[in-house]
Amino acid sequence: MEQQETRQVTFHGEGAKLFGIYIVNILLTLVTFGLYYPWARAALLKYMYEESEFEGSRFTFHGTGKEMFIGFIKAIGIFLGLYCVLLGGILSQKPTFMMIGLAVFYIGFLLLIPIAIHGALRYRTSRSSWRGIHFGYPGDRKEFLNMFIVGCIITLVTFGIYGAWLVIEIRKYIFKNLRFGNITFSYEGEGGAFFWLNVKGYFLTLITLGIYSFWWVKDLFGYYVNNIRMYQGDTRLTFRSTATAGGYFKLIVVNMLIIVLSLGLATPWAIVRAMQFVFANIHIDGPLDVDAIEQTEGDYSDATGEDLADMIDIGIV
Amino acid sequence: MYNFNVRYYDGRLSIAHDATLTLMPDHWLIHYRDPSGELTSVRWAVPGIVTDENFSSLFIFRFGEFPQQTLECKDDSLPATLRQRYPERIFFKKGITRVFKWSNGAIAGLALVLLTLLGLGYWFGLPWLAGAAASRFPVRTEVSMGNTMYENMIQAYDVDQRLTAATNDFAKSIDFKTPYPISITVVKKDEVNAFALPGGHIVVFDGIIRKMKTKEEFAALLAHEVSHVHYRHSLRNIFRSLGGYLFLSLLLNDINGIVTVLADNSNMLANLTYSRELETEADQKAMAIFQADGLDLKGFVDLFTVLKSEHGDMGSLKLLSTHPLTEERLRAAEEMAEGQNGVKEDDELEIKWHTIEKTLNK
Ligand SMILES: [Zn+2]
Repeated sequence: MEQQETRQVTFHGEGAKLFGIYIVNILLTLVTFGLYYPWARAALLKYMYEESEFEGSRFTFHGTGKEMFIGFIKAIGIFLGLYCVLLGGILSQKPTFMMIGLAVFYIGFLLLIPIAIHGALRYRTSRSSWRGIHFGYPGDRKEFLNMFIVGCIITLVTFGIYGAWLVIEIRKYIFKNLRFGNITFSYEGEGGAFFWLNVKGYFLTLITLGIYSFWWVKDLFGYYVNNIRMYQGDTRLTFRSTATAGGYFKLIVVNMLIIVLSLGLATPWAIVRAMQFVFANIHIDGPLDVDAIEQTEGDYSDATGEDLADMIDIGIV
Repeated sequence: MYNFNVRYYDGRLSIAHDATLTLMPDHWLIHYRDPSGELTSVRWAVPGIVTDENFSSLFIFRFGEFPQQTLECKDDSLPATLRQRYPERIFFKKGITRVFKWSNGAIAGLALVLLTLLGLGYWFGLPWLAGAAASRFPVRTEVSMGNTMYENMIQAYDVDQRLTAATNDFAKSIDFKTPYPISITVVKKDEVNAFALPGGHIVVFDGIIRKMKTKEEFAALLAHEVSHVHYRHSLRNIFRSLGGYLFLSLLLNDINGIVTVLADNSNMLANLTYSRELETEADQKAMAIFQADGLDLKGFVDLFTVLKSEHGDMGSLKLLSTHPLTEERLRAAEEMAEGQNGVKEDDELEIKWHTIEKTLNK
């Protein structure tokens, strides 16, 4: 039998370069009163992609500040609109209007989260490539929105318990719709197992005064990674986490020290360490033909989701 | 000399081709052997070639509609050759990203300079901007803003009407040298404190008046609070902390939670330091009022002695105290009092002070 093939993505970023990018970004964002922000974000993403390597080739982020600026303006418009409704309700001093304003604000916000995730996935994947082959996310917004909203309502009714199942549903949907050329993905996690993993993690963390939290994050990371499948034609590839609680302990404690002792200035170095840790602990097992991935996705360029997701502060995948 | 070793991706398949690039006058020619061994050539017309901006030392070019073909070259001599071969075409724009191709030392140096500039902007630029913004703020708006604030907050207190009347009468006998309409409210509270709102409202707790022995002492307190009003200290404080908040949130937008907490706290500390500067300014202006009116500066010495015995010296908390260290203020007042001449006894003020004392003891 042949030896099991395994592959990894490696991260080559340097703290010093990342630091420089942050400083330039911050400065230009300040002097332009925030308008440079989309360009700053594009530069950062470009750099992070460019330093990620798979099979001797680097990834590329094709998004531009200009594209993201349009999304940025739209996102700001949407937020301003929501805040105006809220403010209008409050200023009217009438309880009914106040309630309506508040309701519109919160419901609007709740709707924005799935829209933002969907848009960001569409945009980000279409702008990511490796060896000229683009990623893609042909998911359906309505379907995703329905799943998300219904899931949120059930989660509310079950006092949060359904949340575990919702997270898994979302992951399943996203991976089912993720493309890399003609490569497809799936997520094999189950709500029940994920729920008990969290229950166990929560209580053991409480009992051990936080010490168990390192095992908990390790388990969460493992549950995420180990359940990802990748398909090239008839070949099925599996993802495997090698992260350990000790590894997480070292990463988190050292990063905290780096950040706190440098008063935050050394944050880019901490980010580089975290990226290296994540990539170093993900293995892709199986016989992948890295020369035979075919381009399949079309062009897509609405950047609204990217910035919405960024403003609500949700990280994707 | 116009040949380069490159990597070529055709945009349809993920296979990497080791290819040769030849720079022709109006197009690029890319040759490679495909996996079956057949020699293949691709032609890129120069106008359609796009340079990929990146941070690394790799030169990347793309061509055509989606899905684009890609070409990567590691040869350092490529840019110079391109300039020579196509003088009318600019392949490498002088963008901001060029900076990142410098050495790490140079980047760190630049970063340090920028950080220093940011720091200077924060420590000196912001207070200056806050002052400038406050001084351009229309007085009428400031007064009406102060009135709204006053009406909202005074409901939480128990106002002593008689003491308020006596105190306002007392204040009328002092020339505070300010265009603002000064209105004092005395509230029943055991705390040794007083504060000023923008536009002329001053709130005094009766607890502090009870501690006072002389009219000069009380006049010193009022003069200090009036100076806060006169120099628009509340407004400047609001503008500074708002500015600091905006500045830091812009600055730290991309960075994580721990840093934000650290920054919020240091911004608060910076605000406190700033308000200490404002306190010193208020003390100076108040003493100038005393000098001009011929009031005895010993009032300040007594006032600060009261404050010191009341709040303790807070020696170890120096950084955290909003007011300059009482000890420091006391020493400054003593120095000023020693050098003072031309003190006049103001009988009218003395009578009014007695009225306040009598009202207090009822
Ligand atoms: Zn004061």
